[in-house]
Amino acid sequence: MRKLPEGLYYVEGLEVPETPEPRVAQDPWSDTTVVGRPLPRVDGYERVSGTAVYPSDVSLPRMLYGAILRCSCANGVVTSVDVSAAEGMPGVHGVISAFTPDDNATRPYSQYIKTNLFNPTCRCEGEPVAAVAAETPYQAHDALRAIQVAYDERPFVSDERRALEPGAAQVQEGGNSAGDPRVYERGDIARGFAEADVVLEETYRTECEIHTPLELHGCVAKWDGDSLTVWESTQGVYNVQAGVAGALGMPLSKVRVVGHYMGGGFGAKLQAGRYTLAAALLAKKTARPVKLIITREDSLLAVGNRPPANMRLKAGVRRDGTLTALELTALATGGYRGRGSGSVDFIARELYLCPNVRTELSDCYINAPPQRPFRGPGHPQGAWAVEQMLDQLADAIDMDPIELRAKNIATTSQARGNRPYTSNGFRECLVDGARAFRWEETRAEIAGGNRGHIKRGVGMAGGTWAAGGGGPPSIAVIKLFSDGSINLNMGASDIGTGTKTVMAMVVAEELGVDPGAIQIEHADTGTTQFASASGGSKTIPTESPAVRAAALEIKEQLLDLAAAQLSVDASTLALRDGTVVSAADSSVLLRVREIRALRRRGNLTGVGYRGPNPQDKVIAPFAAQFCEVEVNTLTGEVEIVRFLAAHDSGRIMNKLTCQNQAFGGVTMGIGYAMTERRILDGNETGKMVNKNWHDYKIPTAMDVPADMTFLPIEPEDTECNTVGAKGIGEPATIPTAAAVANAIAHATGVRVTDTPIDPTKLLQALAERREGE
Amino acid sequence: MLPSFSYVRAQTLDDALRQLSSDGAAVHAGGSDLLGCLRDGVFEASKVVSLSGLGDLRGIRETRNGGLRIGATTTIAEVAGNDLIRRRYRTLAQAAAVVASPQLRNQGTIGGNICQKPRCWYYRGEFDCMRKGGGMCYAAGGENQFHCILGGAGCFVVHPSDTAPALVALGATVRITGPRGVRTVPMEEFHVLPNVDFRRETVLDPGEIVTEILLPEPVSGMRSSYRKVRSRGAWDFALAGVAVALRFSGNRVEDGRVVLSGAAPVPWRSREAEEVLAGQRLDAGVARRAGEAAMRDARALRHNGYKIPLFRGLIEEQLLAIAES
Repeated sequence: MRKLPEGLYYVEGLEVPETPEPRVAQDPWSDTTVVGRPLPRVDGYERVSGTAVYPSDVSLPRMLYGAILRCSCANGVVTSVDVSAAEGMPGVHGVISAFTPDDNATRPYSQYIKTNLFNPTCRCEGEPVAAVAAETPYQAHDALRAIQVAYDERPFVSDERRALEPGAAQVQEGGNSAGDPRVYERGDIARGFAEADVVLEETYRTECEIHTPLELHGCVAKWDGDSLTVWESTQGVYNVQAGVAGALGMPLSKVRVVGHYMGGGFGAKLQAGRYTLAAALLAKKTARPVKLIITREDSLLAVGNRPPANMRLKAGVRRDGTLTALELTALATGGYRGRGSGSVDFIARELYLCPNVRTELSDCYINAPPQRPFRGPGHPQGAWAVEQMLDQLADAIDMDPIELRAKNIATTSQARGNRPYTSNGFRECLVDGARAFRWEETRAEIAGGNRGHIKRGVGMAGGTWAAGGGGPPSIAVIKLFSDGSINLNMGASDIGTGTKTVMAMVVAEELGVDPGAIQIEHADTGTTQFASASGGSKTIPTESPAVRAAALEIKEQLLDLAAAQLSVDASTLALRDGTVVSAADSSVLLRVREIRALRRRGNLTGVGYRGPNPQDKVIAPFAAQFCEVEVNTLTGEVEIVRFLAAHDSGRIMNKLTCQNQAFGGVTMGIGYAMTERRILDGNETGKMVNKNWHDYKIPTAMDVPADMTFLPIEPEDTECNTVGAKGIGEPATIPTAAAVANAIAHATGVRVTDTPIDPTKLLQALAERREGE
Repeated sequence: MLPSFSYVRAQTLDDALRQLSSDGAAVHAGGSDLLGCLRDGVFEASKVVSLSGLGDLRGIRETRNGGLRIGATTTIAEVAGNDLIRRRYRTLAQAAAVVASPQLRNQGTIGGNICQKPRCWYYRGEFDCMRKGGGMCYAAGGENQFHCILGGAGCFVVHPSDTAPALVALGATVRITGPRGVRTVPMEEFHVLPNVDFRRETVLDPGEIVTEILLPEPVSGMRSSYRKVRSRGAWDFALAGVAVALRFSGNRVEDGRVVLSGAAPVPWRSREAEEVLAGQRLDAGVARRAGEAAMRDARALRHNGYKIPLFRGLIEEQLLAIAES
C-alpha cells in the first residue's frame, strides 16, 4: 500500500488499494485496429436527437418541483424563517428550513464539524435558507418569494487582498487566516539568484472563474419505502451515494444514484449537492418524487469556482538560458472555508529544470462561496505566472521563448522525489508544435512589418498536470452473450468526454466486435461496479485498463471453450470479427454462437481490475499551446486568429473525442484569458453582481478561432498502464490563457498580468504606455 | 422564474391603448427585455399587452417625402437585413447587425430596442437602487467598469441601445401614440437624462407606445457608419460605440453628427466632435482632435477610466475609416 501525494482532490491522501493480479497476460499494445481511430460517439445519436435522458429531463408520475431560497446577504445569521404564507399557497406541498423539524440531514462542514443542511450562520451570499416543493416550478418559486427571512447582518469582506488587513470583517471566529502558509523549498534560493545573470520579478493575478456547465446542477429524488433513488447530474455516482447516505444516516445499499448522462461539470459536480439533500428531504416530507434543478443564477453563485490567485514570481536565468531560481509566493482564498491555493505552485515546481525553487502559498477566508476543484485546480493560475515569466526572461536575454523552454526541460519529476517519467513528450510538444504552427516563419513575418494600429503577435505556453495517470481502484465487468454480443458494465460517468465510446473501442479492440453494438451499462450505484468520480483527467487511464482486463478474461474463456469443442490447443486459436479463427492462417473455425458450451451457459463473464501504477516512476501529461492574435491598439480589442494545441497525453484512444477535449479546453482557457471574471460588489454589499450569462462572459463562437489545430504527440508509454494512455481533459486548458497573454504582449509590447485581458485592462495599459512615450 | 401575470394580445391599436391604460399593464413587443425585467424583479406587471397582433406596426416602407418609415415592431434582424436601410442608412443597418445575438435580433424589435431598460447590474440585480425607488446608487462607489463617463448625475447607467445612437445620427423622429393622441418627437429628444428624471429612460408617458420611427430623406454626400467595441464577439452590449453620419463635399466634411453609445445614460451626441469636423478635410489630425474633443468633458468613475482612451481611439479610427470609404 502506497500513499499518494496529499492535496490531490480525488485521492485526498487515501491509500491505494491492492488489486488482484490479472489471470491473463496484458502485454502492451503495439499497433491497434480500433483504438485510436476518430470514431463518432456511440451515443451521438441519442445526445443530438434529444432522446438521451439527462437528469434535467427525468420526469416521474406525481413528481413535484423543488426550489431553494438562498441567503441574500454576504454575511448574516438567519434569526427567523416564516414559511406560513408559503405553505398556504396553491400547489405547495412542503417547505423546509432550519426552523422546521424536517432538516435532519447532517453534512460535513469541515474535517471536524458537521452542520445541518440549513445552517443559520450564513457566511456568504447563496447559502441555502429554505426549500419548497410544489406542483410546478412557477409555484415553487412564487412560494420562495412569500417566505419571510430575518437576518442579523454582519460586516463582510469580499476581497482576499483586504481580508488580512487590520480591522477587516471576521469571516470565521478564529480570524481570516486559513492556517500557516505552506512552504516548499529545494536547493538554495539565494544562491540561485546570485548565480543568475538576469533576475526578474513580477506580480500576476488570476480572477475567480465559474464552472458554468450547460446543464444546471440538480437531481430527481424518489423514495420507495426506506430506499432512495437519486437521478443526479454528476461526475461520480458513488461520491453522491456516499454523501447522501452519510448525511441522511442511511446504509449505502438503500441509496441508489443514477447518472447516465450529464451536461458538464468541470469539477463542480464531484459531490452530493445540498440541493440533493433538499430534494431527498422534500421527497420524504411530501411522499412524492421531487425534482430540484437549481437556477442559472445560483449555478454561478453557489456551486463552486476556481478561486482568485495573487502571485508574486521572482525568477533568475543565466545568459545561456539556464534557469537558476524560481520563487513563487501566492495568496489565495477558498471562500469562507478551506483553502484555494492548492497546486498553484505545481507548474513552478515541476515543469522546468531548476535546482533552486521556493514556493509559499497562503490562504485567507472571505465572505464568498467555497471553491471547488475546477479543471486542473491551481494549474492555469500557476501557468499564467510561470509561462508569462518565461517569456519575460526570454525577452531579457534575447532568446526565442521556445528555445528557452526547450533548454530547461525537466528530465525527472522534480516535485515528486526526482522519479523519472514513464514518458515525457514535452520537447516534442514544443518542437513539433512550433513547426506545425510555423512559429519561426510567423515571427519573422511580424518582425518584418507590424505597421498600422492592428498589431499581430504570436505566443505560446507549456504545461503539465499533477495527475492524469489515473489509478486503482476500478472494476469493469463484461458479459458475453451466447450470440457473441456484449454488455459492458462499469461505474464510470461519461461527463461528455466520450468515456463510453472509448471503452467500447477497448472492448472492440480485444474481442473484434462493432463498438456501436456494445450495450453499455454505467454510472448507477445499484447496478454497476465501483468507479471513482470522473475528475483529474483520470477516467481513460483508469477505466481503459480495467475494461481491457475484463475483455482479455472473456477472450481467454471463449477460446478455451472453442478449443475444447474443436479438440485443439487454445493457443492455436484467435478471435477475429467475433469469430474463432486459426491463429496460424486466419481460417474460420467456429462462430461464437456455434460454441455449444457457451449456449448452455448463457453467457460468459469477465471481470477486470485496474492494476497499480508503477511505484518508481511518475505519469504525467504535457502540453504546448500556440496562438496568434491581432490587437487593435486604438480600442484594445483582441482577435484570436488561430490556435494550435500540441499534447502528450500518451496514446490517443479516439482522435475525435480527444480533439474535442483539446478544443474545449482551449475555448475555456480563452474565456479565462479574455472575458471571465466573478465580480463581487466589494463596496456596499459583498454580493455577486454578474451572476448571469450576460454579465459573466463565457466565450461565444465568435471569440474562438475557426483555425484551431490539435496536434497529438504520442510517445510510446508501456509503463503508465496497460493501454498507454494519459489524461487530456485538464492539460488542455492549463497553458491556454498564458499563451494568449504572451501573444498579446508580443503584438503590443504591453504585458497585462491580470486576467481577463479585455479592453478595460488592455486599453488602460496601452494608454499608459502612450502617455509615457 | 417569471411571476404570474395575465396576457392580452391586442387586436387594434385602440384596443392596445385601452388595455395599457389599466394599472400594472406593461407593453410587450419582442419581449426580450420585458420578460427579463419581470423575471429579475426589476419592475412588476400584472398584465402584459402584446402588440404582435398589430400588423400595421410592423414593416419598412418608403414615405412620400423620400424618407423611410419603420414600424415599431419590425424586428432588429429585419432592420439589419433591409436593402434600403443598408444602402441609404448604413449606420442603422450596421448598428442593428451587432445587437445581441441572432436569436435576440430575430425576436427583438426596433421599438423595443430604443425603449430598453438600462443594463446596470445593480439596477437589474437584487439591489434596491435609486432608479428602482431605493435610496442610493450602488454603482457610484461600486463596480462601475461598464458605467457612464458623460451625462451621469446621481445615476450612472449607460443607455444599452445600439440602434438609438444610429437613429440620432440620422436625425430620425419617433411617432408616439397614447391616450391623448399622437405626437412626434425627434430621436435626439426621446431619451431622458438622470438629472431631468432618474426614474425614466424616455419621454414616454404612462400608456404611451412608440408606433413608428421615421427617417428623413438621405442628403447627398452622406456617409454613415456604426461601430461597437465589446468584451466578447457576440451577445454583449457596447463598452463603447460610435454612430457617425457625415455630409461630405468632396473630401471635406460639411456637417454631420457623431453619437456615442456606452458613454452616457442616453445616446450621446458629441457636438464637440462635430464642431471639430465641420468644414474640415477629414485627415488623421482632425480625426484625432475630434476624438479628443468628444472626451473633453468626460469624467471617469473609479473603474471605467479606460473608456476615455477607448472612445478617443474608436472615434479616431471610425472617422478615418469613413473618410477612406
